[in-house]
Amino acid sequence: MSSPTAAERPIVAPEDRTIFAMGGGGFTMEPANPLLDDYVLSLPASREPRILFLPTASGDTTPHINAFKERFGGRTCVPEHLSLFRLRETPRPLREIVMEQDVVYVGGGSMRNLLAIWTAHGLDGILLEAWERGIVLAGLSAGAMCWFQAGVTRSSGPPEALEGLGLLDGSLSVHADGEPERLPYWLTMIRNGEIPGGWALDDGVGLLFRGRTLDRVVSSRPGAEAQRVDAIAGEMVRKRILPELLGSRATDPLGGYDEAVEELRRVHRLRRGTGGRRS
Amino acid sequence: MATRPPQIVALGGGGFSMEKEGSLLDDYILSLLDTDRPRVCFLPTASGDADHYVVRFYRRFSPGCDASHLSLFRRDQGTGGVEDDLAAHLLSQDLIYVGGGNMLSMIGAWRAHGLDSILRRAWRRGIVVCGPSAGSLCWFEQALSAFHGAPRPVRGLGLLPYSNCVHYDAEPARREEYHRAVADGMTGGYAVEDGVGLHFVGTRLQRVVSSRPDGRAFLVERHRGRIREAGLQAEYLGDPAFASIARRPELAEVAA
Repeated sequence: MSSPTAAERPIVAPEDRTIFAMGGGGFTMEPANPLLDDYVLSLPASREPRILFLPTASGDTTPHINAFKERFGGRTCVPEHLSLFRLRETPRPLREIVMEQDVVYVGGGSMRNLLAIWTAHGLDGILLEAWERGIVLAGLSAGAMCWFQAGVTRSSGPPEALEGLGLLDGSLSVHADGEPERLPYWLTMIRNGEIPGGWALDDGVGLLFRGRTLDRVVSSRPGAEAQRVDAIAGEMVRKRILPELLGSRATDPLGGYDEAVEELRRVHRLRRGTGGRRS
Repeated sequence: MATRPPQIVALGGGGFSMEKEGSLLDDYILSLLDTDRPRVCFLPTASGDADHYVVRFYRRFSPGCDASHLSLFRRDQGTGGVEDDLAAHLLSQDLIYVGGGNMLSMIGAWRAHGLDSILRRAWRRGIVVCGPSAGSLCWFEQALSAFHGAPRPVRGLGLLPYSNCVHYDAEPARREEYHRAVADGMTGGYAVEDGVGLHFVGTRLQRVVSSRPDGRAFLVERHRGRIREAGLQAEYLGDPAFASIARRPELAEVAA
């Protein structure tokens, strides 16, 4: 079976556009905790989703790419990564590669570099189209803030506000527990009206958006929290949000590692032999 | 104080990052610097600030130079080489060495940090700028990018009002692609093989140097509706006779 293309992927209803934004966590930060990554795999409709890792924000570092392969290589999915620094490895149009996916997973690093490099390659427009065609967009840290109107980046050292792609309303601040110096800066920027209100996430917490509406707040760690902050008529309104803890029975993800599916994939691979489409 | 003319050494490939015995081109570049212990800053942006590239730079340039590097990816972790004012640091160098990799990604990241205008200022001040591959393409008005799908012209910083095509010998299709791009309207320019460097003073090509006896470079232009490719005289840097003339060329007399 061939991969879907843009022509086969219709524009979906706004409520079927999915973004999963993590404050930190996943394979790059929680090598021993797969809960968030398994949750990501449970989001697309496909039982064996194609997942594309974009390590742009880190400069496409080899450890990041290896960690991705290690986490997703043994799971029920078809993992692939796309380097914008080593494009010789993928001599195909970027849009074609992206539109084949079920999930695009964006790694952390420098939000400023991430957006600038995407723009240079036209990937910002391609990802907007992917979202409109129902491809799940996921990411952590810089790879989470990039979807919002604004984020707080430390791309140049000290925290600073940076405009994002604006697919989602509001602002996002990440690593609220791991890098606490971002939080007061973010609050000040909201109070001064320089960025819109939004969410601050501890490491391990993820926001699931259906369209532009927050649908669920989940976490890979007990005790991790989210908060919603707005400046309303000059007053700062802060609201704590307690996430659903993943891995408990009620929220068990449907995706993830499944021995039977993996066995079937081995059979498929054998049947495909060397004639498979992936080299 | 004598003013230094703007200088660019654009390598089709080669230098410390690509050649085992790659010191000839780097030696030539160092010979252009009128100081005993030059300040040399490496920009590995086009490689995504790859660690192994940074290490190789220091191996090559730490002996004899005040070497530093500037990372645009690790600045939040305090491992970015230069931490303070990027402009002040770059403008105090004698040489800025730009590494190879992906030019579009590099220029995108540069613009986000204001490096494009800093590098233009550095060049105008007479700080020598150089580099192989993406580190060559970036100085030109247009460059032939060979990545993701069909090759196409992309815009560089435009310090040199020509186009540029690198690795001209390494990939068989490159010549045809470059000719087609120029025929289709890309500004004419220079095609350069691995191991060959174009030395520009101001925007004028001063000399063509090579770390290989048979290294070549070409001027590719539209002429009366056709493509004309003219071979350029390359000087082999390994020639014993070259050693005497490579040192301290009288550059100050050349109008920038």
